Formats: sequence, structure tokens, C-alpha cells
Amino acid sequence: MAVYKRGYRRYAGPLTGRWTRFLVLPRYAWRRLYQQRLVLLLTMLAFLWPLLCAGFIYLTNHAELLQGLDREFREFIQVDGRFFSIFMYVQAGFAVFIAALAGPGLIAPDLANNALPLYFSRPLTRWNYALARLTVLVGMLSVVTWIPGLILFGLQVGLAGGSWFRANWTLGAGMVVGFFVWLLILSLVAMASSAYVKWRVVAGAVSLAFFFILSGVAAMIDNVLRVTWGHIIDPAWAVNQVWRALLGVTPTEGPSAGASAWALAALVLLLVLVIERKLRPVEIVT
Amino acid sequence: MASEPRDRPSSAPEALRTVHRSFSEGGSEPAERRARERVGGSGGAKPPGVIFEEVSKFYGEVLGVNRVTLNIPPGITSLVGPNGSGKTTLMNLMTGLIHPDHGRILMRGISPRDPETLMRITGYATQYDTAPRWATGFTFITTGLLLFGYPRAEAEAKAWKALERLSLTEAANRKVAGYSKGMRQRVRLAQAIAHDPDVLVLDEPLNGLDPLVRAETIALFRTWASEGKHVILSSHVLQEVDLISDQVVLIANGMIIAEGTIRTVREEIQEHPSQYLVRCRDASGVASRLFSEDHITEIRLSEDRLGLLVMTRDREQFAQALGRIALNGHRIDAVVPADENVDALYEYLIGGE
Repeated sequence: MAVYKRGYRRYAGPLTGRWTRFLVLPRYAWRRLYQQRLVLLLTMLAFLWPLLCAGFIYLTNHAELLQGLDREFREFIQVDGRFFSIFMYVQAGFAVFIAALAGPGLIAPDLANNALPLYFSRPLTRWNYALARLTVLVGMLSVVTWIPGLILFGLQVGLAGGSWFRANWTLGAGMVVGFFVWLLILSLVAMASSAYVKWRVVAGAVSLAFFFILSGVAAMIDNVLRVTWGHIIDPAWAVNQVWRALLGVTPTEGPSAGASAWALAALVLLLVLVIERKLRPVEIVT
Repeated sequence: MASEPRDRPSSAPEALRTVHRSFSEGGSEPAERRARERVGGSGGAKPPGVIFEEVSKFYGEVLGVNRVTLNIPPGITSLVGPNGSGKTTLMNLMTGLIHPDHGRILMRGISPRDPETLMRITGYATQYDTAPRWATGFTFITTGLLLFGYPRAEAEAKAWKALERLSLTEAANRKVAGYSKGMRQRVRLAQAIAHDPDVLVLDEPLNGLDPLVRAETIALFRTWASEGKHVILSSHVLQEVDLISDQVVLIANGMIIAEGTIRTVREEIQEHPSQYLVRCRDASGVASRLFSEDHITEIRLSEDRLGLLVMTRDREQFAQALGRIALNGHRIDAVVPADENVDALYEYLIGGE
């Protein structure tokens, strides 16, 4: 029988914060993801449009450069809600492709390795783990979405002055909120496909197909039934409708921004349930 | 595993079921109270056990474990049972990865429903190669420690110490994906011990280890056990279980068939006569004398005529009979129990199922 003697002293020093500990996982993941050339290339390409937009902002704030242009055209090219909604639409497209590239490697390898019991035999809950994986994608996508968006907004404020900011600060806030809604949906779709499809290429394709198929089905419903509410099942359309409301842009024909927001909330809930079902420390085969 | 109702009769023979004696016999006070008393009790020296009280776990209709009652003391405990018997379910319950449908568990007085506290005293090594392909042995262990909340310097120091204990320092900066099977097994053990846990739950920890490393690992288990830790492991290699275990838990069809030291479990099995190997010069003479005893059921002479395999229903009477025979001038060189091992227990209690 064992002799009870202790030859060691347990660590009794300070610990890192309980609620920030999950950030250990994204740190390693980011490093690995940016080592992928395609991810890096796509990220760099995603900066082209913000650069063009920055040039546009510069032009619109320098009246002397626009002297020769038609007055109506000069009034048309304004930095307003419409400008930011176009900016967001393009960047959102890049985000879809980056999420499809980066997302599949998040959960599938851990499931294939049976690594979840190991993660969860740390002081790390399933929600911590999911949050860590979500943070990886949201962090990566932030680099090409709301961060350049805020830089553009700041540039416009810098050039147009405080009065412009006081009149248009909701544009900046709406852009950040709108992007976060989109990033949440993209990340959850990528995580769900990663949790269910172990082959990375297929998981990426599933992520992309999710948006294209729903868009196609929505269009089919509208055309076959001669209605406009079919778009509600198209997340890209629904989020665009929400953005328009946030940025004060005229909505497109179809369900309202409120209905679109509810549809997106339902989608988020569904995706969370789908992921929750798969993120279990023990595979239960019944 | 087949679907079975909760209160279905055990498929083990009725008589054998008596082997399993509940730890709680002799008292009905809650396990938690008893556990806490052990922590701060009068002696204070003996750590509380790993306690299962009427624990059942079903996966839908499929039985995981049923009405398991255990009190595992510190030391090396082996969970032994066929595939699908519920060993890994027990381990997952201990580590809080799944929760019981019924009953409760206390790991040294801590409920698995409190993972933040539990995981600080528990180290778990699963049977799978869980390290990510990109990770080196060092980063694999360090990452785990960072998740425990250790500052980076402390995590790296602990990771290094764990790698040292498992003789992996030379391979520390190589990717785990390039490790041999034995090295991957060791790195799994290293991550389990890195945070100095009191309870080690190890699923098939000796698989894939070469004899030398296996011996070193067993020595480590003994060291941990001597420090008052719980070392709970599952193994299919019964000879090893025999060699290293302070106690065994035999499990089949999700039910505990027997628990305790190998000797006490063997003594409980009345249906099978005890077997002894007797080495002596005059094997035939000793055999003829033993045959006159009522409790002897069978004797087999070895081919070299220098040994006997004796089967007896009464161990004490057998010992007395041997004493008498020796006093009568027969030289007895050695008497060794032949079925006081996990192999025999497994055969008697589970093998027939």
C-alpha cells in the first residue's frame, strides 16, 4: 500500500484571468493560419478595396480636385451611408472566402484527433472552446472588415472635421455593428461545417455553398411564388437589409430590416445548436 | 453494447455478484461528508478517495455504467474489463467529461461538476493521439498549462519538468506528429502530470511502450502512488495490471464485478478452488498425502515430477496440511498461489460471459 509522503509543492502563485484564458487557443491558431499562403494572399487582396475607398474619401474632401466635374455628379459622390454600405458589401464578400479557407481547420482536426476530451479535461468549458474558435475567425475577419472600415471612417472625420462626425457618427457605429453581425454568421457557418465535415476542402466548399444555395433557394421562392419574402432565408440579403437600416440607406424591396434581423437571430441560434451538438468530449453513438 | 433496462439482472453469475462489496457497507452517511471528514479528519494524513455512489450513466438507450458504487483509495488502481465494459465511461465520469444520470461522484471530495477545481487536481491521458500535428512536445504541454492559467514562465518550467520525468527532453522541440508510438504515449502522460495533479486518470497508458520505457513508466506510477496520489488506469495487459496494481476494479457490461486488492477479491470467489503450485522433491508422495484431505479437489503432477498444481476449497486447511506434510519429513521448496492474479480473476469473473 502507498506510503503517503509528499515530495513536491503545488504551485501557489498567481494565475491568469479565468475569462481570458481561452485566448491561448486563438494565438496559436492565428499564427498557423497566416502561414497559409492562400489565406495571406486573400487577406492582402482584401485591402485593395479599402485603399480605393481611402482615395475616394480623399478626393471628395478636396473640392479643388473635383472642379471640372458635373455638379450633380459631385453631389452623388458623397461619403455617406450608401458609400459605407457599398464598402461593407465588397469587404463582406472577401470575408466569405477567407472564412471558407480558414474555418475548416478549426474544429475538424480536434475532432479527428479525439482531442476534445483533452481540451475539456482542463479548466475549459465547451463554450470557452467554441468562443476560442470563434475568436480565431472573428479576429481574422476583423482585419479585413470593421478595422479598415473604422480607419476609413476616421480618415473621413479627419478630413471633413468634427461637424461631419457629429452628424454622421451613427455610420461608424452602424458599420461596426453590421460587420460584427456578418462575422458572427460567417464564423458560425464555418465552424459548423468544420465540426461536421472532416475533410478541409469539402468543409470549405460547404461553407461557400451554404450562402450560394440559400441565395438560390430564396430567389427561387420569390420567382415561383411571386412573393418578396423569400429573401428572408438568404443570410447575405438579410444582413444587407440590416446594414441599410443601420446606415440609413433606403431598404431594398422585401422583408423589413426588423424581420431580417429576426431571421438572422434564428439562423445564429440554429448554428449554435448544431455546433453544440457536435462539441462533446465524448462521442456518443446510439 | 446492447441496450439494457436500468434494473436488469446482471449477466454475471449470481454467486459471483456477491464478490462486489459496496464501500459504503456499515454506514449510510453521505459520501461527501465522509470525504470531507477524511480531508480534515482526526488523522488528516490519508487523502479522501475517489468515490462513486450508485452512479449510472446511459447514452440514450445504451448502458454506459449501471449503479456503480466504489471507493478507490490512493495508490495504483487498475480498471479491468473487456472492450465496451464501461472503463472509459468510468474515466470520463471521473474527469467530469460526462455527468451521471443518477448517483454522485466525488474526486477527493470534489464534485466533477466543479471542473475549475477538479481539473487542478486531476490529470487525464486519453488513449488517443490528441496532439495537434503542428505542435512540438514542448508547445503541446505548455499550451495545456497555459489553459490552466499558469503564467508563461511557470507553464514552460512545468512543461520542461514533465518532459524530463518522461525522458522526452531531447525530443521536446520536435513535432509530436514525428514521434514514435511510445514517445507519443509518453507525451500524453507528460501532459497529464505537468500540473502536479493528485489524481491521474490514464486510459491504456502502457500501450506502445517498449519494455525499458514501460518499466520506467511503471516506476513513475509507483512514485506517484507513494506520494499519496491516485493513479487510476485501464489496461488490457493483465500481467501488467497484476504487476503494478495496489487494487483492481473488474467491470463488465457496465457493472462492477469486483473491487479490492487482488488477494481479497480472489478470497471472495468461493466457486473456484484456489490453485497453488507446490515445488518439492517428492511430488508423488506429497500428492498422495494431500489427496487424503477433504478440501483438495484436484492435483496435477508436473512433467518433471518436482511440482504439483493443487486445487483446494479451503486455503487455511491446505496451509495446515502442507505444514503437517513438511513436519513428516517431506521437503517443500516453494508454495506459490497460481490463480491469485488478475488473469485468473478475469477468467473467473468475466471470462465466461
